[in-house]
Amino acid sequence: MTQNRHHLSDEAVRALTLPTDPWLSCEECFELSDEFAELVLAYPATTSMTAMFVHLRACPACAEEAQSLVTLLAQTQGQDPASALARLRS
Amino acid sequence: MGAEGDGIALAGSRPSAEGAQATPVDRVTEQNRAIERDWVGELGSSGAVRESALRDLHRLLVSAARHQVWRMRPQLPHLGPGPLEDVAQCAADDALTILLTKLQTFEGRSRFTTWAYKFAILQTANEVRRQAWSSREVELRDEDGGTTLRGPEAVAEAADLADAVRRAMRVALTSYQRRIALALLVDEVPIDVLAERLGTTRGALYKTLHVARSRLRTHLMASGHLPPATTPRGTR
Repeated sequence: MTQNRHHLSDEAVRALTLPTDPWLSCEECFELSDEFAELVLAYPATTSMTAMFVHLRACPACAEEAQSLVTLLAQTQGQDPASALARLRS
Repeated sequence: MGAEGDGIALAGSRPSAEGAQATPVDRVTEQNRAIERDWVGELGSSGAVRESALRDLHRLLVSAARHQVWRMRPQLPHLGPGPLEDVAQCAADDALTILLTKLQTFEGRSRFTTWAYKFAILQTANEVRRQAWSSREVELRDEDGGTTLRGPEAVAEAADLADAVRRAMRVALTSYQRRIALALLVDEVPIDVLAERLGTTRGALYKTLHVARSRLRTHLMASGHLPPATTPRGTR
């Protein structure tokens, strides 16, 4: 094993040690994602649905789909999704 | 279904597959009509009313699927507009089938159209990731390959944590947890792709990852490499 094989990238370390409580499954995330997308688009600074924010920081697939839904809603409603997307990525 | 046109172009100024462009006002007007509609009632009825609702719902799902394909198109650089449109149409078809089986679970916590869009987005994203990885091997390795260090002084602190994480992975995780964590978080295999290859579900893999992360954090807090936990409030 070489020296390089002993080190993880900073991004990998961050991903491996992310706190993921309160627990929310991918299935629950999907169930809540429509309500969540409307909430975040309307109130980007919301403090509700904490577990959704935690899950989306920890699950890239769910995060992509949530960001996509927010963007799509904004487009269909003539809104700017920037604040909501910034919150999702924070 | 699958061949009729898209009533709404949903990706900025991107032309729809038919070449027409919907203005932002068109999109908002169409959306407002869709929001006010009694979708559940019409889809639960019969005859021409139901058929009309199905056609219009499918059109919305195709719009959402195209939106998702457009977002993820860099993952399928070898596909031209025609095959990408096929991906969107197939995903919309699948989404419609799934949505109809779950129609009675719609509780009105969001607009029906928002609820419907999420099915198309999920199906499309899964299909794009599946196709993007279709010719790639997924290696479930038990050791991390790491990255090249930028210099011992510059990365000393980060390397210390990285080494601690690596040691924690050896002692705090099972072999299966380690392999799943490495595949998903280091090799960045999409979770639904890995689930399909392993014959499991996205939810099961995420649960494994959740437990692995918790074990790592507990171990690293005990060793002083991470600060004590602060648990966010709330359950949703």
